[in-house]
Amino acid sequence: MVFSGIPFLFFFLPVFLILYFITPDKFKNAVILVFSLVFYAWGEPVYIVLMLLSSFVDYVDGLLLEKFAEHKVLRRISFVTALVINISILCFFKYAGLAVETVNALLHLKLKVPDIALPIGISFYTFQTVSYSIDVYRKEVKAEKNYFSYLTYVSMFPQLIAGPIVRFSNVQERLHERKISERAFVHGFKRFLMGLFRKVLIANQIGELWDIIRSAESRSVAASWLGILCFTLQLYYDFSAYSDMAIGLGEVLGFEFPENFIYPLSATSITDFWRRWHISLSGWFRDYVYIPLGGNRKGVLKHLRNMFAVWFLTGLWHGASWNYVLWGLYHGLLLTLEKYLWGKKLEKAPSFFKHLYTLVIVVVGFGIFTFEDLGELAAYFPGLVGIGNSAAAASDTLWYLGNYLPVFLTALVFAFPLWLKIVKKLEEGNAYRKRLAGICEVLLAAGLFLLTMAALVKDVYNPFLYFRF
Amino acid sequence: MTISDRVSVYLICVMILVFTASFFLGGKKEFSESENRYLAAFPEFSIKHLTEGKFTEGIEKYVCDQFPERDSFLNIVSEAERLSGRKQIGDIYLCEDKTLIQAYTKPKNIEKDIRQFGKLADALDNAKVYLMLVPTAVSIHSDKLPEGAQTQYSQSETINTIYQSMSGKAECIPIEAALEEKKAEGLLYYNTDHHWTTFGAYIAYCEYCRAAGYEPSALSDYKAETVTTSFQGTLYSKLCDSYFGADEIVSYSHPDWDLKVTYEDSSEVSDTPYAAEYLDKKDKYSYFLNNIHPLITIENRNAPEGAVAVIKDSYANSLVPFLITDYRTVYVFDTRYYKGGPSKFINEHEDIKDVLILYNMNTLDNDAGIGGIY
Repeated sequence: MVFSGIPFLFFFLPVFLILYFITPDKFKNAVILVFSLVFYAWGEPVYIVLMLLSSFVDYVDGLLLEKFAEHKVLRRISFVTALVINISILCFFKYAGLAVETVNALLHLKLKVPDIALPIGISFYTFQTVSYSIDVYRKEVKAEKNYFSYLTYVSMFPQLIAGPIVRFSNVQERLHERKISERAFVHGFKRFLMGLFRKVLIANQIGELWDIIRSAESRSVAASWLGILCFTLQLYYDFSAYSDMAIGLGEVLGFEFPENFIYPLSATSITDFWRRWHISLSGWFRDYVYIPLGGNRKGVLKHLRNMFAVWFLTGLWHGASWNYVLWGLYHGLLLTLEKYLWGKKLEKAPSFFKHLYTLVIVVVGFGIFTFEDLGELAAYFPGLVGIGNSAAAASDTLWYLGNYLPVFLTALVFAFPLWLKIVKKLEEGNAYRKRLAGICEVLLAAGLFLLTMAALVKDVYNPFLYFRF
Repeated sequence: MTISDRVSVYLICVMILVFTASFFLGGKKEFSESENRYLAAFPEFSIKHLTEGKFTEGIEKYVCDQFPERDSFLNIVSEAERLSGRKQIGDIYLCEDKTLIQAYTKPKNIEKDIRQFGKLADALDNAKVYLMLVPTAVSIHSDKLPEGAQTQYSQSETINTIYQSMSGKAECIPIEAALEEKKAEGLLYYNTDHHWTTFGAYIAYCEYCRAAGYEPSALSDYKAETVTTSFQGTLYSKLCDSYFGADEIVSYSHPDWDLKVTYEDSSEVSDTPYAAEYLDKKDKYSYFLNNIHPLITIENRNAPEGAVAVIKDSYANSLVPFLITDYRTVYVFDTRYYKGGPSKFINEHEDIKDVLILYNMNTLDNDAGIGGIY
């Protein structure tokens, strides 16, 4: 099930929330667990077994790690076993096809490519359960004694299928002692709604435009750039909206999930971008791969190796296709260059330049990210520098923009934090304006909600981008 | 948390609950008049459906289709899109004068079309084969399209390709020029539907007559009658935006007709090619030739000897009435449903001297009847 759909909004959510709030605290986890399993089984009625298995392995591992606290070898055996099982499941279900295809291509073989459907959210929950095992092994968190509490953490529907990648330490305390308040409900629900609007009214619309530009027979230079900019906006709004909805719902339920996106398109360098984009994922790779490998503390060569490993894996995590790896390495390379070559100079550059520099690199990067078919990638990119474009100068760009101008401008404005400052400034110290803004907020919220409902009822373009992740 | 946050959140919570409640309390519909399609019903439960994900998918369709005030919501989406400056929604251009024109997408089955037409022509013993491919509004009224519209594929090019391959096997009738020439004289295509009007069909009929070597009957010989003014066609149904109005349908009947129209599948017999009962329904274009039948035989006792067989899509339905005047018998095939291909039937009926293959360019590429031609 997805958040941005009629079944979730009008059936699942109200029933769940009502039951959740009338149930005594002791049983609230049970309500979350049951609904989470239904939520997952709704789209993945068979592979739900995998999720149960994966979380059971780490739960048992956690118990063993504490039981053998004094026994180094057994601890290690238990830990490595759990790790191998989890990573094997992920590799088999996500990368088997890619592996065989690649072997076929490299060795000119014709092995049968296994046709395995990717279980929804497997990359997210595997990373969660693995982080738990590692944290318990490192004695950074206490093992969870109650399997159902642990399963509630892994399967918790707000964050189950598209993140953020919540760590056990984020929720452990609240799993046992819930703090529910009206304040958190209103704040969290508002955040959820904002996410919903961003997904349905901005991401989907911009995504539709990207689809049109992508499928055009040919494009002008400007339209080619507009295309990958649109994809960047679509991915940002889609992904961050999903995180907003997750974090908001978590808050409604009395949890605090980590932030995942902080205006990444307004970053001033690629280094800065990765502090703002999919924070829970880059944090995961930092804590569980990069630093254990030695980070940048063991000399330049090892640092380069570590960067390569982390960014290769980061890319691969996003999908079983080489373009994702290419995208990961592209970012890894630029981060390395920023560190060793021009990072210091960049800091002193004018702000406008820094933003432009970052945005261009990010947009080109997502251009690589979007084409799983490398042939299509190779066909699209020359158009960005004026090779093989159609003669029709830029009339196509005007047509595309003209059709989607309001949503395109809205997407641009809200991708940068400037609007927050403007609103604040307008309201500052002026009671009348503040009240007016309040009324506008209510009207706008109701209007946007109606529009969102309408779009969902009409079942207009509403893709779920993360089934590849 | 401000007061307005609270009011907004609770207001929306109430909205959700109201719609959920009215979903369960309200009635369910089987058919949507405005969208002209059957709405999803509650899916059938089986373990197989469940594990394949079809059951939950079915529920999602069901709740969307049966959502309270569905028509109003559809209207809201289209209104919002139009007001936001959209000139194209899906494959429909929003043109001036509230005209809707369907875009022409990349043709993918040209070779199959040529193969099928060719096979039919080869299989016929005596009858002469005429091929007419009808350019649609997107070609003829390209002047009406919104400025800058990205039309990437040309119907004329596709027609030329097919005509060139068919030369020698069939007499190909170009009608683009005639339609272009007459477009100032009357409406050639409906504003809210993908079909041509009876006037457009008449112009094509004249071109056919010239190709077949006889004089077409004059339009003034016919009795013209506006049978409806509230036709909201297929393009309207895709948008469901009440801003776009309705079309009128003009029906032409010849005073000399003395008809026996036989629908071979149901053995129904009528004395007119028109089915007035459809005028009260949504699908008003089915007024022509009574919607879908594998084979219709139309006899006109006052027409000269000879018969024509028409192999066609729905565009022909409004052209066939003009042919009635010129042939004693008109056989109309719908090859989606007529099994085994019409060549055997045509060869067995020696009165059939002409065969007209007629398709419009917008649906030719996906026409399910092409496979049934031979």
